[in-house]
Amino acid sequence: MTLLIKCMHLPFSFSSRMVSPAIALAFLPLLLTLIIRYRYYFVLFYRAVLVRIWKDCVTGLSREERAFQYVLTNSTPGDPDSILDAFDYWCSKVEFISNIGPKKGKILDRLLMEQSPLTVLELGAHCGYSTVRIARALPLGARLYSIEMDQGNAAIAEKIIRLAGFDDDTVELIVNPSDEVIPRLRSDYNLERLDFVFMDHWKKCYLPDLQLLEGYGLLGKGSMIVADNVLFPGAPKFLRYLRKCGLYEWKIHRATLEYSRGIRDGMAELIYQGIK
Amino acid sequence: MPGDTLITSENDTDIELDFAGVEDFQENHKREKHNGKRRNGDRQENKRENQRRKRSSKSVQGIREESQSKTERRERSRRRKGKAEHETSGHEGNKRERDQTRAKSTKSKKNIKNEKTRKLEGKEDGEAQEKSEKGKLKLVCTKNEEKIESGDQLKEKEKALGVKKKKKRRKKVVETSSEPETSEDGDDEEEVNNDGEVRPELLSPEELEKLKEAVDEKKKLIQSLRGKPWPMKQKLVTLRESQLFVEKYEGALGKGKGRKLYAYKVMMTKKWMKFQRDFENFKTACIPWEMKIKEIESHFGSSVASYFIFLRWMYGINMILFSLTFGLVMVPEVLQFLNLNCTFILFIALYIYFILQVRLILLCTFFEQALMGRPYGSIPRKTVPRAEEAGAMDFAVLWDFGGYAQYSVLFYGYYNNQRAIGWFKFRMPLSYFLVGVGTVAYSYMVVIRTMARNANESGIGDDNSFNFSWKMFTSWDYLIGNPETADNKFASITTSFKEAILEEQESRKDDNIHLTRFLRVLANFLVLCCLAGSGYLIYFVVRRSQKFALDGLENHTWWERNEVNMVMSLLGMFCPMLFDVISTLENYHPRVALQWQLGRIFALFLGNLYTFIIALMDAINLKRKEEKVVKYNITMWEATLYNGTGSENSTAPPITIHPADVPRGPCWETMVGQEFVRLIISDTMTTYITLLIGDFLRAVLVRFLNHCWCWDLEAGFPSYSEFDVSGNVLGLIFNQGMIWMGAFYAPCLPALNLLRLHVSMYLQCWAVMCCNVPQERVFKASGSNNFYMAMLLVILFLSTLPAIYTIVTIPPSFDCGPFSGKNRMFDVIQETLESDFPAWFSKVFSYASNPGLVLPFILLMVLAIYYLQSTSKSYKEANVELKKKLQMQNEENKKKNKQAALKAQMDLEEAKKSASQTAEHQRNNNDSVQRQEDDEEIDNKNQRMYHGRNPSPSVGNREPHFPVRDPGPRNAHNGNHGNPRYLPGFHQQSEPRMCRVPSLERH
Repeated sequence: MTLLIKCMHLPFSFSSRMVSPAIALAFLPLLLTLIIRYRYYFVLFYRAVLVRIWKDCVTGLSREERAFQYVLTNSTPGDPDSILDAFDYWCSKVEFISNIGPKKGKILDRLLMEQSPLTVLELGAHCGYSTVRIARALPLGARLYSIEMDQGNAAIAEKIIRLAGFDDDTVELIVNPSDEVIPRLRSDYNLERLDFVFMDHWKKCYLPDLQLLEGYGLLGKGSMIVADNVLFPGAPKFLRYLRKCGLYEWKIHRATLEYSRGIRDGMAELIYQGIK
Repeated sequence: MPGDTLITSENDTDIELDFAGVEDFQENHKREKHNGKRRNGDRQENKRENQRRKRSSKSVQGIREESQSKTERRERSRRRKGKAEHETSGHEGNKRERDQTRAKSTKSKKNIKNEKTRKLEGKEDGEAQEKSEKGKLKLVCTKNEEKIESGDQLKEKEKALGVKKKKKRRKKVVETSSEPETSEDGDDEEEVNNDGEVRPELLSPEELEKLKEAVDEKKKLIQSLRGKPWPMKQKLVTLRESQLFVEKYEGALGKGKGRKLYAYKVMMTKKWMKFQRDFENFKTACIPWEMKIKEIESHFGSSVASYFIFLRWMYGINMILFSLTFGLVMVPEVLQFLNLNCTFILFIALYIYFILQVRLILLCTFFEQALMGRPYGSIPRKTVPRAEEAGAMDFAVLWDFGGYAQYSVLFYGYYNNQRAIGWFKFRMPLSYFLVGVGTVAYSYMVVIRTMARNANESGIGDDNSFNFSWKMFTSWDYLIGNPETADNKFASITTSFKEAILEEQESRKDDNIHLTRFLRVLANFLVLCCLAGSGYLIYFVVRRSQKFALDGLENHTWWERNEVNMVMSLLGMFCPMLFDVISTLENYHPRVALQWQLGRIFALFLGNLYTFIIALMDAINLKRKEEKVVKYNITMWEATLYNGTGSENSTAPPITIHPADVPRGPCWETMVGQEFVRLIISDTMTTYITLLIGDFLRAVLVRFLNHCWCWDLEAGFPSYSEFDVSGNVLGLIFNQGMIWMGAFYAPCLPALNLLRLHVSMYLQCWAVMCCNVPQERVFKASGSNNFYMAMLLVILFLSTLPAIYTIVTIPPSFDCGPFSGKNRMFDVIQETLESDFPAWFSKVFSYASNPGLVLPFILLMVLAIYYLQSTSKSYKEANVELKKKLQMQNEENKKKNKQAALKAQMDLEEAKKSASQTAEHQRNNNDSVQRQEDDEEIDNKNQRMYHGRNPSPSVGNREPHFPVRDPGPRNAHNGNHGNPRYLPGFHQQSEPRMCRVPSLERH
């Protein structure tokens, strides 16, 4: 036993001297590999976290407020397109806000055009980009309910929506957590059936909110639900549920993360089929 | 219920029980027609055997039936009803006869369940009458049409249609006979009532013949069922029914003694088949790790599985190398000195190894202990020197293969140069040399043979044509057995389609090609830089280690002592990753990318290996210098020793010195062996540690941190690792190269490698299944196996080079190893020739090794190789030509078929149209008149067929009649009924055969 301990002791006894530089150099390819392979993630980390912290400290405003300032100065009021363009520019060139982005936005537009829904629910308005985007594509007489949890963001979203020229009849912003609002939709807002639901709030809430919608019977046959960012940051439980439950006809539109090229992301499109 | 079994004939339109004379010819004719069609369609499939042909013909028919099904079904039912009535009234003798025969043979095999049928009959009759009118109408229509249409082709078509209708009807009748709700003839029923049960003894020989045929047909149907374009349900039903039928009637065939014999034969064939199947299963179960590999294949696709298959193959090779070295070198050397007890321990150790198979390191030391019985210290080379004795059992020393391990059977230095040992006069040095040569020769042979075999299999398809069709029809990997992989594969197919479309566009646009080229050149440049950098690093480390060696290793840390191995392993691990990242620049197809990657890693490993060998050469030279000094010292030492004793007392017994005290040369061979063993061990360790950290730990982290992380770890950033096929394959190949290189100096290497492969089989199988995800771009590993083999061959060659170089150029050490005392290692052969063989043999050998003989021989071999190569090339060219010809034929046939099909379709539609029109016209006609016309029409048709109007030249005539069964007995059967009209049908059959000759020549 003592022999064994002695034996084990020997090779792993570090002397005071450093590990040789050659061995350290041999790790260089690994480092390079990691940097190259995950460069988009590093860039994202830099833009979404470091720059944000830095700017927060410098300007004293929140990120959403800065975005709003930029949009206010660089767009035509009443023109949703120019507002969206301004947002896109700011998010891709200046700072990063995880809006739906222009590419996935096009898919969303197409789905809305095909569906032409009358009652639309949006979970997670953030600063109003997706709200404007959806409202722009809605048919006449349709109504969009947008739910945002955060007060500050909701205020900015409100301003943006009004700036884009959508009034209270078209877009109604509800400032409350989604899991509180959904049960009250039927009673407080006289909603019978939602034609279209867009999810872009906390990824962890996708599944409970979907189940709430099912539970309160707000989904009818043919209702469409679109969930953004199901691959990155990702909603694995949501996807697993979709695979299992069989209530939906679903597919994932594969795309990249908004304002970033190399990170793969997807948007899930669900069509409620009901229990067969 | 035999009636039920008969129903199956509905599915199998070609194969039927027909007992009626009228049908006989028609069916032949029809079959021939279908054969013709089929042949036109699948001409290229000449080589396929009968079953396949029949199946395809049927499928053609099946498709046709489907297309026509609507109208035909309607018509069929009408006509059936009509016929039913018609037969009751007993209009036509022939028909009646037919029906009776049918009834006898079909009904006789039936249990009676016609009670119900009878009840329903009355009700049905009324209906039938009504329907029969329509049926007659239809017939009139067809007749009218025939008058109108004049084209040969069309009429042929028409006729075919008619035949089909008739057939269908008959078939339907057979069917209806078992179904209670449809009507049945009174006559028939009476007959049935008379002999209700199956009594084969009562059947006439002809009927027996028919029955036998039917059974055969059913058997064929069962065999060809898999290829039919039917829904699975139908297939299952048909299969069950056919099996029942066959089971029921197979035993009933034959009479008396013959019958028993027949039954016995059938039983034996069944048992034999079962045995064969079981044996096949057993054989599969005997293949080691087959199930594991299959499971992996189903989850990860064939590319990952190909690695494991390669690993298994390698294991087999190493098994043989191991048994060679172990049986012919190690065991004799050990047994020479071991006492019984130690032999016993040795075998116990072996036994445990084969039982447990996993606990290697422990067993390894155990093994060593067993080999190092006390008698090891008999001569100096088998003894640990006094200076090293103190630490010879330390784990660290043993781990570095110093101490007791160094002076053991594991290494070259331990072996004695005694020419013959034991009772059997075993030539130890010769055996050692021959085993060394034999392992390499065997490896060459196996690798080349495998390559040749693989080359036969591959290289059939051409890759460039029909790119999208290939993708469309062959991209699915049918071995995938898990939904997630299937999802992945689905995604990968879509992406590959996208890519292919993109490529196609790009190749047409042709402007991006420069960018791609630039990127590829850039990638190669980067890779070269990488290679150069890693080469320099290794060179640097090796120089440094030489400096350390000069200083004395004791003064340096473990890290510094193992720097070379560490750096080599680390570079071998990390550089491929970098290459992988770089290769994304190039945008190759994954299979091509894999080959590039393999090539690059190959270059890297080769560079590393050769740097290592060069360093080793330096070390050898150092050792040899040291050896010279030691040799001189030893002579001095011996001189002083003997001088001392001689001066004291000349008659005193010579002083016995303990072997541990005798001064020793450095023995460079053992040093080389040690280096290789160390390299293998460190390599193995790195592999396993990478596996545990890079795969397992990562998987654990990803799995369990995913619940409390802000993004999806599984799908996004770190994710699970993919199985790295290229790296693993190359690791395996280089490992094997090192074995081949070092096995001469360290006979334990094959054993070590065997252990390593064994462990990595289990470990990697486990790791793949537990912590890897399938590659995103799962691709088929079709030709890459031979690529592995080619690399193995190159490595084999490259690794035998240094071994041969050292053997040939460097003289062996003077005091260790089996060749000590000789000038060169291969002198052992000369020695054997001189002392062990008769004089004439050595003379012959010396003549044979004369350059004047050897050179012409080599020349002859070169010529032979050249000749064989050129013939194989010409064969290949001929193959390509033939392939082209076949393809052209195919295309032509396809065109013709298409035309024929189009024409047929048009005709059919027109016929339908006009039929419906005439039907409306003549709705109110008299029944009896129509009946008359019906008969006439049938007669007409028959006449027309027999008088051999050339049926549509493009469809019917091309190929010979395909005799599904012998028409002989049926004809005789027809003759019984005395209908001479049917005889001329044979003209018809022989006619197409004559026509076929020119059609063949045309191509």
